Amino acid sequence: MKLLSSFMIAAALCFAPTASLAKDKKMEGPEVVEIADISVGLSGLVCDFCSIALNKTFKKRDEVRGTYVDLDTKTLSVALNTGADLTNDEIITLVKKAGYSTTKIKRKDGREFIPASDT
Amino acid sequence: MRRIAILIAAFVFFPLSVEARPVSYPEGWTVMLRNDSNQNSAHIHYTVDMCHSLGLRVRYDREGDFVFTGMQVNRLIKRWNKPDSQANIYGRFGLGYVSDDWEASEPRLERSGDAAMFLGASADWETRRYFISGAAEYWDNGRFGDISAYHGRIGIAPYVANTGALHTWFMLEGHHRPESKNKSRASAILRFFKGPALVEVGIDEQGEPLLNYIHRF
Repeated sequence: MKLLSSFMIAAALCFAPTASLAKDKKMEGPEVVEIADISVGLSGLVCDFCSIALNKTFKKRDEVRGTYVDLDTKTLSVALNTGADLTNDEIITLVKKAGYSTTKIKRKDGREFIPASDT
Repeated sequence: MRRIAILIAAFVFFPLSVEARPVSYPEGWTVMLRNDSNQNSAHIHYTVDMCHSLGLRVRYDREGDFVFTGMQVNRLIKRWNKPDSQANIYGRFGLGYVSDDWEASEPRLERSGDAAMFLGASADWETRRYFISGAAEYWDNGRFGDISAYHGRIGIAPYVANTGALHTWFMLEGHHRPESKNKSRASAILRFFKGPALVEVGIDEQGEPLLNYIHRF
């Protein structure tokens, strides 16, 4: 009986969601813009290959729930998982890694950051 | 040596491109297929970091009737990101083996292979409306002889499409291969671009078709 209860407790712990691993449902497409936590202004954005590069690069991060690149507004919208965050430096580095430059970072709470130079 | 000098001169004076964007995003795979009057070529590459990709290249030279099989390294030398445009300079290098086309219909007296290498440079500038690109390449194909090739391309998009929509381009491409029987050719090309896939269909002034395909994974 003790063995059975130990097994059940272990199984419950294995399947129980924990705060550190909790991730919201992944999102993609224009609906990301509606719930985006971060809006990143970009330069060098000219085609769909640019969009793919940015989406794939950001989505590799555990903090990121979804992304959408709008070529018309030259903006990358990033929705984060609950409780997650990306610093300005991390965002600039990810954009650079994808091959582009950050012109502005705007957060949902209204904070804005403009990089000193074209980074 | 003279060929190398021509290649460098072409690189400096002509902002050309055969293979648009040969470096993708880190850890991304790309397939590039090119079929025109000069060649049938396939290049699959893996992007190691934002400046380098490494891949396999198989190229059938239609005039020389031989096949190159080898590895190709692409390097993004310089990128300029501007609010409404992007410009790039790329270099590439390949090393491999050339052999007779084993599917050739004409029997050959001698079938054998040789080591081969190529060196190329390309550049492009584009907005969402206009496109200019070009490339210069020099191939040392061992006993099959050397080839130098120059390509230049201009394009215009009749409408500007947003993310995920169908992008359409009208393009003109000029080819120059000094060692070829038909040294210079020009092609009219229609480019269709949607999401990760890019297709180009075209025809040159002698009626030879062109079909290119690029897919990013």
